[in-house]
Amino acid sequence: MEITEKDVDGVAILSFSGSLDALTSPEATDYLEACISNGKNQIVADLAAVDFISSAGLRVVLTAMKQTRLAGGDFRLAALPDGVHKVIAMAGFTSILKIYDDAESASSSFRK
Amino acid sequence: MPTSNPEHKRRVALVIGAGSIKCAAALGLQKSLYQAGISIDMVVGCSGGSLYAALIALGTETEEAERLTHALWTRELTKKRSISALLKTVAPRIFGFDENFGLIDDSLILSRLKAAYGEQTFTEARIPLYIVATDFETGEKVILEKGRLRDAIRASIAIPFIFKPWRFQDRLLMDGFMSDPLPVDVAIKEGADLIIALGFDSPYQTRIDSSPRFAFQVTTIMANHLLTSNFAFHNLAHHTEVIPVVPEFDRRIRAFDSDELHYIIEQGEKAMNEQIPYVQRLLGTQ
Repeated sequence: MEITEKDVDGVAILSFSGSLDALTSPEATDYLEACISNGKNQIVADLAAVDFISSAGLRVVLTAMKQTRLAGGDFRLAALPDGVHKVIAMAGFTSILKIYDDAESASSSFRK
Repeated sequence: MPTSNPEHKRRVALVIGAGSIKCAAALGLQKSLYQAGISIDMVVGCSGGSLYAALIALGTETEEAERLTHALWTRELTKKRSISALLKTVAPRIFGFDENFGLIDDSLILSRLKAAYGEQTFTEARIPLYIVATDFETGEKVILEKGRLRDAIRASIAIPFIFKPWRFQDRLLMDGFMSDPLPVDVAIKEGADLIIALGFDSPYQTRIDSSPRFAFQVTTIMANHLLTSNFAFHNLAHHTEVIPVVPEFDRRIRAFDSDELHYIIEQGEKAMNEQIPYVQRLLGTQ
């Protein structure tokens, strides 16, 4: 898994690629925790290049959501491929997370 | 997959949730796992998934399972209305309405289950098998693991309003999807480490022109929401990994589209093939 980061008006846009699963979740968790502890609490996860998410990946998403909200921000998802979207929806996360078609819409949503 | 004990043998569970004919994709998953040399340590089935969970646990070859399904699961199953149910509905006091209510005559499904599974029991399963049903009287989820397979399956597919509940092991049982449409929790409880979960949202009716269709629609709405909430909880509760396998279908698959069986199995195999390298890495076999 690879994670690249860019900052758009104070919003951290993290682009993930590969699988978000039990093998990659420790790395993703570490990365997100470092972001949040560095004061970045408005985060967009661009999942356009993620091909699979498992239960471990869902736990990463949920933890990031809780931690950013506790810090007064939010963790929003963007550009979910169909297969990833199905799993996110089946786990009920679409009712508690904000999800956008692309990273730009997700980052601009923080300014509304 | 992180484990505190490297000697611990990781147990693989295949969980097949409700989904009518789509559950046949499980046969594709089994084929893919078998070809990759990955053994299944337990199978859990619910509703339509129980048909395939039983076949897989019995060690039925994919081709034979496909043939059995062709003979078992066709649209004719819901063609014959139950006259007594109609009479009970119109005049409940005269005809004695009771809990044994189902709009469809179940004699055909009973004879087909008998033809497919005969007198085989859970003890003949080569790998541990669990079938989920729902207690009609208490609403409890019931995990069936002993007795005659065709009784357990008949209970697990007792779609509310459509097929009457089924009395088995002193309990009146109905469709497992009413309590646990994708029973990942059963695999967690039985000690599975790696859970391969095949689950589907039930499709909504395209038209409501009969009481069975109306009943299907109502129960589908409830069961789909239950699937979501249960799956969310089970994903977060499990200590290791749940791998959702979601076959892609390029066309609508209806509950009794047995003509699509081969395609459904192929899509199941394809979806599982995509996850095989990951499963192998988790199991330390690659």
